Amino acid sequence: MAKWGMVFDLRRCIGCNACAVACKQENSLPDGVFFTKTLSEEVGEYPDVTRSYVPTICNHCEDAPCERACPTGATYTRPDGIVMVDRNKCIGCGTCIVACPYDQRTRLEPEMLKEGLFGGGRMTPFEEQGIGRFTVGTVVKCTFCHERVDAGQLPACVATCPTEARIFGDLDDPTSRPRQLILERRGRQPLPEKNTNPRVFYID
Amino acid sequence: MIASNRIADGTFRVGVGLQKAWGVQMATAFFFGEAGAGLYFVAQFFDFTLGMFAGLVMVLFGKAGGHILHLGQPLRGWRALTKVRSSWVSRGLAAIVLFVVAGALHLIDLRAGVLPAGVSQLVAALALAACFVIMIYQGFAMSHSTAIALWSGGLMPIASLTYALLNGVLLTLVLGFDAPFLAERPDTVRLLQVLAVALMLYGLVTVLSLLHGARHASEAGRQSVALLLQGGFARWFVPLVIGVGFVFSALMMLAAPPDFAWMLAVAGLELAGYYAFRVLMFKAGSYDPALSLAYRFRH
Repeated sequence: MAKWGMVFDLRRCIGCNACAVACKQENSLPDGVFFTKTLSEEVGEYPDVTRSYVPTICNHCEDAPCERACPTGATYTRPDGIVMVDRNKCIGCGTCIVACPYDQRTRLEPEMLKEGLFGGGRMTPFEEQGIGRFTVGTVVKCTFCHERVDAGQLPACVATCPTEARIFGDLDDPTSRPRQLILERRGRQPLPEKNTNPRVFYID
Repeated sequence: MIASNRIADGTFRVGVGLQKAWGVQMATAFFFGEAGAGLYFVAQFFDFTLGMFAGLVMVLFGKAGGHILHLGQPLRGWRALTKVRSSWVSRGLAAIVLFVVAGALHLIDLRAGVLPAGVSQLVAALALAACFVIMIYQGFAMSHSTAIALWSGGLMPIASLTYALLNGVLLTLVLGFDAPFLAERPDTVRLLQVLAVALMLYGLVTVLSLLHGARHASEAGRQSVALLLQGGFARWFVPLVIGVGFVFSALMMLAAPPDFAWMLAVAGLELAGYYAFRVLMFKAGSYDPALSLAYRFRH
């Protein structure tokens, strides 16, 4: 069984946020909800200043604190390592949100699902067909586009990234590209001091 | 300068992010939980039925009500009982259910004497044990969240217990002012007053230690403490939590004459400080930047 993971190449990321747009489109995410973001950060002091970009996503931690904290068992880890939320079990208590060190979970508030992204106080037909996958008051997060992955495709953000800054694959396979990149370029996990063992790595 | 030192709330920038999942409703539930459980806990030692009843009602309606208002799917709330082995929220809910059932039975038994002696003692002990869990589990639920440096200190459960006992002592002094166990026993009143002052001092040191620990734990902890002591929340935190909640109420208690209005004022001030503590600890809770590794990598 594969253990899916992702590598972010910070040298390649140009901060275009095409990943965030692709994610919103793929998952029909309502206004204010992002499963992935590319954050920017200025580094240095004038005149030696540069801007770097930091893609963020649910890290699908091996020791997921959200899963441990969840009082209903709604958050669970699939055998392939993808951390999921069962919307039929989630009670929307927000415990997982405050347990996630990466701030990668969002509770769906009623107002989020009332208006579409394009104004006029209503949704487009495209938005309406996607909204059915959500339940108001429950928590949502990135699932590595599990339907696509199950069908042998790449997550939407990975498929869309124009610079191949996102590399997805099986972390248990020594020959997989993400695994090799982690080894060759000393991939690092975000906030390792939290002891969550994320399946997302950053290389620079 | 690096941009990650700033609070980047809701923006596409690297920085500390404020938590928004738990807010006033949750703070209100926590407030009633610790005030009600503390009151029941202290009142049960004196078999003070009015205090026990008031504590039970506060937990049942205030705490449970606050949680129900907070939940996104309240009708599924019972599901929170299913992960007692790993989740402090589950353990807390189990304690609330046990407390309400055992506490109500114990109160009925005190009035009507319906239970055999052995069972009666067992029910009273169960109610007290569940009550104790409610007094501390909120602290554990918060400190379990290593994501938020302000909460993750080991002192959070101690702060919960201290506040709960303090609330219990003060509310007992108010509600039981005319009750025989206080009205006819001035030494008991004095003992509870001394206990209240001691708990206020202990609570003050605990809260300051919490802040001290958070300040040196991480960037987010530093920002949270700065928000509470110097930033946007300082105008509430310093005067209400520290000033009114501990210092002023302790001084008033030390100088307290045997007067109901005075006791009520002290309890009111302390409870106001405690409520402010609960709300502001949630408001100021913040996440570390997921990655200022970009900066660390390059330098």
